[in-house]
Amino acid sequence: MKPDIESNLPTESLSFPEGRQLARIFLPAGMIALILTLSGIFFNAERFFYSWLTGFTFIASILLGALFFVMVQHVTRSSWSVVLRRIPETISYQLILLPVFFIPILFGMEYLYEWIRPERIATDELTQHKLPYLNFPFFILRNILYFIVWGFLGYKLYKNSIALDHSGDLSLDKKQRVLSAPGILLFALTVAFASFDWMMSMDSHWFSTMFGVYYFSMSFQAALALIVIITLFLIKKTAFSKIINQAHIHDLGALLFGFTVFYAYIAFSQFLLIYYANIPEETLWYYYRFEGSWIYLAYLFLIGRFVLPFILLLNKRAKSNHALLTGVSIWILFLNFLEMFWIIIPILHKGAISVHWLDVASFVGFLCLSIGFFFYLLAQNSLIPKKDPLLAESLKKH
Amino acid sequence: MSQSSDTQKDLLVKGNHDFASVTRLISDIPQQKTPAWWYIAFGISNILLAMLLGMVILLIWNGIGVWGLNQPVGWGWDITNFVWWVGIGHAGTLISAILFLFRQGWRTAINRFAEAMTIFAVMCAGLFPAIHVGRIWAIYWIFPLPNSMQLWPNFNSPLLWDVFAVATYFTVSTLFWYVGLIPDLATMRDKVKGFYSKIAYGVFALGWTGSNRHWQHYEKAYMILAGLATPLVLSVHTIVSFDFAVSIIPGWHTTIFPPYFVAGAVFSGFAMVLTLMIITRKLYHLEDIMTIDHIEKMNIIILVTGNMVGFAYAMEFFIAWYGGVEYEKFAFINRAFGPYAWAYWIMITCNVVAPQFFWVKKFRRHIGLTFFLSIVINIGMWFERFVITVTSLAQDFLPSSWGYFSPTYVDVLTYVGTFGLFFTFFLLFLRFLPMVAISEVKGVMPQADPAYYRNNQKH
Repeated sequence: MKPDIESNLPTESLSFPEGRQLARIFLPAGMIALILTLSGIFFNAERFFYSWLTGFTFIASILLGALFFVMVQHVTRSSWSVVLRRIPETISYQLILLPVFFIPILFGMEYLYEWIRPERIATDELTQHKLPYLNFPFFILRNILYFIVWGFLGYKLYKNSIALDHSGDLSLDKKQRVLSAPGILLFALTVAFASFDWMMSMDSHWFSTMFGVYYFSMSFQAALALIVIITLFLIKKTAFSKIINQAHIHDLGALLFGFTVFYAYIAFSQFLLIYYANIPEETLWYYYRFEGSWIYLAYLFLIGRFVLPFILLLNKRAKSNHALLTGVSIWILFLNFLEMFWIIIPILHKGAISVHWLDVASFVGFLCLSIGFFFYLLAQNSLIPKKDPLLAESLKKH
Repeated sequence: MSQSSDTQKDLLVKGNHDFASVTRLISDIPQQKTPAWWYIAFGISNILLAMLLGMVILLIWNGIGVWGLNQPVGWGWDITNFVWWVGIGHAGTLISAILFLFRQGWRTAINRFAEAMTIFAVMCAGLFPAIHVGRIWAIYWIFPLPNSMQLWPNFNSPLLWDVFAVATYFTVSTLFWYVGLIPDLATMRDKVKGFYSKIAYGVFALGWTGSNRHWQHYEKAYMILAGLATPLVLSVHTIVSFDFAVSIIPGWHTTIFPPYFVAGAVFSGFAMVLTLMIITRKLYHLEDIMTIDHIEKMNIIILVTGNMVGFAYAMEFFIAWYGGVEYEKFAFINRAFGPYAWAYWIMITCNVVAPQFFWVKKFRRHIGLTFFLSIVINIGMWFERFVITVTSLAQDFLPSSWGYFSPTYVDVLTYVGTFGLFFTFFLLFLRFLPMVAISEVKGVMPQADPAYYRNNQKH
């Protein structure tokens, strides 16, 4: 039974060498856009750092979401996802490059983080109270730690998977599991504290225990959206279509649907609890993000990031409708950037939405560069983990 | 790429069973002579249940002053027990609905069992809010009934949302459980000998014949109920957490409460399922169906949810310091080092330290250790609710009114009595209903593969 399924499928030879051509378009495009963004430092330094941080947190969220996806599949020994696991593996491998893009932020600390400004430290009691945590050396140390953890996990999970392709050594498969289980625990802690450091501490008085979970819920939804987009793109372009069937797509769609609800649950719970208790030190964060025209973005997230995808993807058939899934996923990816924008920019521009071309350049730059790297890496290896012990089961999925 | 060796190892049902022997294994249990241990257990449960009834009557007669509640602690064991029981009631629906949607075949061995446990646990939980209002004869005021006084419940209060959430959860869980039972009730109807038992099973089997059309409708209904039950798994404990978190009491008001409570609920629910399952599989010789692999999988979920709870504790503690709010800081230092420090450290030991054993495969597959830890975890989860409820109230904003909560014998006996309620129903379930979903277990056996017999003839 198994041999006749496998012999008809191009599992051994499936790759995507055309990825190099795509990389040749996306990499330079991303580079140019990011250089343009970097040039902003000369004429609007303040805005540059805010735009850069927005783009950085956006791309970091996707890479981290993909890393989580890979680890969960290993821990649960999921067979359904094996055929498409190379995609999130390749996305999260880029985490080793993430620290490079963090460097500019270190030069803009004074613009971005009020807790580092000496006059603030001198006059503000709360900032003094937080000094043992919120100070520059410890900030750098923590971030180095995050990047080591993520880089190590992203690197190892990818390299082991590639090595398994070549050697077929099944002990590697076990290694992936052994790595992923504590990996998820480390991931939870590092992502939570990274989100506190990067974004929550910008409003240095504000705090929310949920913030780490909130950042994660956005990350995972966005990462799933990107995985959907790439999977459907590869189905169109390659013999991937013979390997992936509607059942795989349906499961991806169901996950996207499920984590859309999860995102809404977390985001709304955080809002409701703060709104209901109505304590000034907590409500202020929402106050600035609801002030003036910023409120429209909040409505947009409610409707666009939850209600709309919820209704569109509720139907069973919708979850495997390629065109619809692609559309919804691109939209969610875009809204993920916009939500980072909504979290970060109101600190700079109170009361009214302000869009600068640097924001656009940063968005395009980070996204194109990441996609470029992705296709560059993808082109070098098999499209599927071809020697994975669960591959046969994954192919049989119905 | 020989698949057969893998699947042999991963079989969900052990011991070379075929369809007929699985049916016999489960459906024979209600037909056998009632074992002696059952009468003993049922007797003890009934005594406890009678005691519960006595305590509730005592409470209604005298008012809630018979509990240890006083200023400043107005919520004590009542709410602790409510949250504890309702948390235990989460495992059933999680196993039935979420694991069903995630296509986890192993759920079939334990879903019936866990759902029954859920329903009885929610019954125990529902008792507490009902009796803690004091004037139970006015309890119907919690429902928005039109009345001549134009008196409405406060729709802004999560305590009211709780009424709806728990009632919905109970209704949907019961329906879900019953719909899943129908094919097996028909099996029982066909198997039992007695005239009256045939009628009883027959009535509840709703004329099931196992026709293709019946199965189609059944599958569709089951799918819809699973879809409905999934958000309920999250919503019930989310709203229970709102009971605390919407207030401005230090230690209660923190944004991570909703997912943290849900994780804690699943954690304690799975522990309770394990406690009961380990005893039951032994007593009824169901080791082939509820296998060691099931126990290992559940232990993994316990490890994951236990760490989620630990993560939430860490976040709360960090933000209590980071936020710099004086009262919040005090509440947490007071929890860990104040008069209730003993309860806090029991909670940490049981909920955060104990599950770490399950990192090791050998411990995950050790039945004795699993049984012990499953009880430890539920003790820990009881203390978690106790710590949250009581520590924040006992040392409130006004130091002159600080107090120390001590339960009275009525508190203790009411809580112990709920075990009587729980086990009375649970033992009846074990005695009269098929405790494993026979048809679903068959669905995950290799024989259910249409190609099974063809392939096996070849070899």
